[in-house]
Amino acid sequence: MRRVPWGVLLALLTGLGLGLVYSWAVSPLRVTDSAPVALRGDFKDQYRSAIAAAYAATGNLPRAQARLSLLGDADPIEALNAQAQRMLASGQSFEQADRAAALAVALSEENNGDAPIPTSTIVAVNNNEDAPTATSPPPPADTSVVPTETPELVETQPVLSESTPRPTQTSLPTLGAPFTLTGQDTICDSNLPDGLLQVLVLNSNRRQLAGAEIVITWDGGEEQFFTGLKPEIGNGYADFIMTPDTTYTVKLGPGSDIAAGLTVPTCQTSDGESFFGGIKLTFQQP
Amino acid sequence: MKTSRWVFIILALVAGICLGLAYGWFVDPVDFFDLTPDTLGADYKADYVLMTAEAYRLEQDPGLAARRLAIFGTQSPSAIAASGLTYARANGFADSDIALIQELVTALQAWSGIQ
Repeated sequence: MRRVPWGVLLALLTGLGLGLVYSWAVSPLRVTDSAPVALRGDFKDQYRSAIAAAYAATGNLPRAQARLSLLGDADPIEALNAQAQRMLASGQSFEQADRAAALAVALSEENNGDAPIPTSTIVAVNNNEDAPTATSPPPPADTSVVPTETPELVETQPVLSESTPRPTQTSLPTLGAPFTLTGQDTICDSNLPDGLLQVLVLNSNRRQLAGAEIVITWDGGEEQFFTGLKPEIGNGYADFIMTPDTTYTVKLGPGSDIAAGLTVPTCQTSDGESFFGGIKLTFQQP
Repeated sequence: MKTSRWVFIILALVAGICLGLAYGWFVDPVDFFDLTPDTLGADYKADYVLMTAEAYRLEQDPGLAARRLAIFGTQSPSAIAASGLTYARANGFADSDIALIQELVTALQAWSGIQ
């Protein structure tokens, strides 16, 4: 019976180990063709921000969705809302944050099946069904694409077309756009926390607006909070717990209506028992 | 120890190194994450340039467009946009998209001239 060649086996294993160390640690393959999903978090934010800015310019939701899918977010809507909050918190422009929030709203509406019907009279007319349309995401590098006739943009009456029409661009609220106080209701619901101040902020299309800054002041104090921090309730929703016997004033941006003299209301249950209720304010852009 | 035995050992060592390199580079290469945008594939870079161009059409702010493109690193923004334009032309992007990128390239070239 032949002896086991331990020396050879040991040399083979040693070589294997050396090879793995070199290929994994010393000189791993250089990355030159990565996908957005592998980007660092802050670069993903910039990528997402660019997607939102492009969407704000084109209104092309399918293309924005295709681009967002490249980032591999488990919930793109949540990711956009969270980013809008981070942008506001870090002092970036309201407009940029608002674009991220606007894309989140558009995606949310798309998911709920109530996407706005395009009203534009500009439609993409494409006579070649196989040609990439103006709304198709750019093809990947390794896909051979035959350049075809460019979709032609013509002004016409709304017609049914197989090409994706471009929706009318939604006007974006800005910091200076004033809000009107359209509703101030006393809420007597014993299931809600005592003194709950609910604020709902809507844009001119009655869509909830995330990232709106709300300033609440009282005698000797002031606090700021933002809509969109509780997307499970609504992108335009924010709340604050008021203290009984304190009078509050709530305002949004400059020029907006002010809700003054807010105090915690006293409510009664059907049994005649007293409890502290809440207030619901609704602000909307005209 | 006989010479032939050393030969076998050295051959085994070399074979092991080759196997290790092949496994580490091709079979199960290192998984990369937290990468920087300059590592993105050319198609993704071109699409990012297109996004910037689409946003520029609305914003008309070459400085903002340049800041967006600056994530790709050392090249000038106009050179990055020009690379995207070259890729778009070579890979069948829609003419409307190419026109947008062309507009961005022109704006960035003019903008870098006055910086």
